[in-house]
Amino acid sequence: MWPILRAIATHRACRVRAVLLRSAGDDAAPIEFAMTIALDLTINGQRCRTQAPDHWTVLDVLRDGLALTGTKDGCGEGVCGACTVLLDGLPVRACLVLAAYAAGRSLITIEGLSESDPLVDTFARLGAAQCGFCTPGMILSARALLAENPAPSVHDVREALAGNLCRCTGYVKIVEAVLTAARSYACASALSN
Amino acid sequence: MRLRPFELIEPESLAAVGAALAATDGDARVVAGGTALVPMLRLGVVRPGRVVSLHRVPALAEIAANNGELRLGAMATMAAIHRSAVVRDGWPLLAEAAGSVATPAIRSTATIGGNLAYAEPASDPAPALCCLEATVDIAGAAGSRSLPVARFLTGFYETALEPAEVVAAVRIPAVPAGARGGYVKFCPRSLEDKPLIGVAALVTIDDRTGRCRDARIALGAAAPTAIRAARAEAIVRDQALDERAIRAAAEAAAAEADPLADLMGSRDYRRRMVAVWVRRLLTSLAHREGRP
Repeated sequence: MWPILRAIATHRACRVRAVLLRSAGDDAAPIEFAMTIALDLTINGQRCRTQAPDHWTVLDVLRDGLALTGTKDGCGEGVCGACTVLLDGLPVRACLVLAAYAAGRSLITIEGLSESDPLVDTFARLGAAQCGFCTPGMILSARALLAENPAPSVHDVREALAGNLCRCTGYVKIVEAVLTAARSYACASALSN
Repeated sequence: MRLRPFELIEPESLAAVGAALAATDGDARVVAGGTALVPMLRLGVVRPGRVVSLHRVPALAEIAANNGELRLGAMATMAAIHRSAVVRDGWPLLAEAAGSVATPAIRSTATIGGNLAYAEPASDPAPALCCLEATVDIAGAAGSRSLPVARFLTGFYETALEPAEVVAAVRIPAVPAGARGGYVKFCPRSLEDKPLIGVAALVTIDDRTGRCRDARIALGAAAPTAIRAARAEAIVRDQALDERAIRAAAEAAAAEADPLADLMGSRDYRRRMVAVWVRRLLTSLAHREGRP
C-alpha cells in the first residue's frame, strides 16, 4: 500500500497548487503556497511520508493529498461527524485537526477496515447505511466506542454517536448494527481465546 | 471548503510561543486542539496571517497532582481529563464536566487551555473550575502571571489575556474533605449541543449537624461568563440542605443569572431553567454520600 500512497501523494502534489488557486476564496488574491509541512504519519497501519501546506487539515491531507476519499467532507465545523477518523485510537474530526497536529501519529480511516469487519458487515447487512455519506464517520465513532466499551447499552451507543448526523435512517438501524457488531466482536474474541 | 491560507508557527517552548506572538503584531492566533479556532477560521470570523500552534511545546499536556494541588497543562484534552485517575479520584466534579463536553470526537482534541482562552459562555468546564476555585497560569513575552478563573474570564468570549499571552496551565486546590460535587447541563435539542444552562456545585455537609459547612454553586450559559451564584450559596451555607433551603437557593440563583437570549431560549426561559437545574442538582447532592 505504501508505494501506492507515495505515488498518489506525488501525483496529487503536482495538482495541489492549481487546486489551491481555485479555492483561494473571495477577496484574496491568488497566493502560491509552499508545501511546508513535512508529515510522517501512519495511516491504516502503513507508514506514510507526505507534505501539506500550513493551513491544511487532516481532512485535506486525506482527501486531496492522498485520495483517501472514504472520509467525507460534510459541515467543515465539527458538527456533522462525517469526517470522523481515529487519531491514535481516539475519534477526532478530521476537518478540525490541523495537519501538523497529526504529524508522527497514527490515523485509521474507513479504508483501514476490511469488508469483513463486524461493523462494516452489520452496517451493510442490517440496512444501517442508506445514502452512505455518514457511514464512514458512524463506523469509526462506533469502533472507538467498542474499543473502550465492548458491551455497550443502547444509551451508550446513542451517546457515542450523538455527534454523527444521519439524515436517512432515523438511527434505529444504526444503533442495532452497532449492538450486533459488538456481539460479533465478543464472539470473535471468545473464539480466539 | 479549505481554510484561508496562513503561516503555521510551531514553537517548541512557551517562551518561543510568547516571542512568536509578540513578533506578529496582533496578526496571530493561538491554536491548541483546534475545535474552537478552526471553525472560526473556516467561517472567516478571524483571518489571521499566522497561527501559532502549541502542540510541539513539551509537557503542556501533563496532568499531575502535587501536594494536593492539581495541575493541568493547557494542552490537556477533555478526554484525558475525563479519564485521568488522578482527576477522577481527587476532583471528580472536573472529570464529570470535562466528560460532558460536546461529543467524544470533540473531547479527544478540545483542550482545557483552549476552552478557557475561547471563553465560551456555555462552556461545561468553566462552572466546574469556578466551583473548584481554579487559578489560570498565563505565559507571555513579558513574563508569566496567574489569575483566579473568575478574573480570567472577563466577558462574552473575552478574557484577561493580552495579545502576546497564552494559557500555560490551570491549577486547582484540593477539594475540602467530604465535599460532594456535581455538574448538570440542560440541552433541549440534542446531547452534543452546547447547554442552554449548566450548573456545577460543590457542597460540604457536616455529618454531625447535617448542615452545609461550605456551598459553592456556579452557573454556565447564564451570564456573559461562567459565574458563582453568591447569594444562592449564602442561603444554603450553615443550613440543612432541605427542600425549603434548596428552593430558596434555586430562586436566588435564577435572580443572579444575567442570561442572553438566543435561538435556544429567551432570557426568562433561561432564568427559569437556572432555578430548575440548581434545585435538581442540590437535591441530588443532598441525598448523595460525601465524596469530592
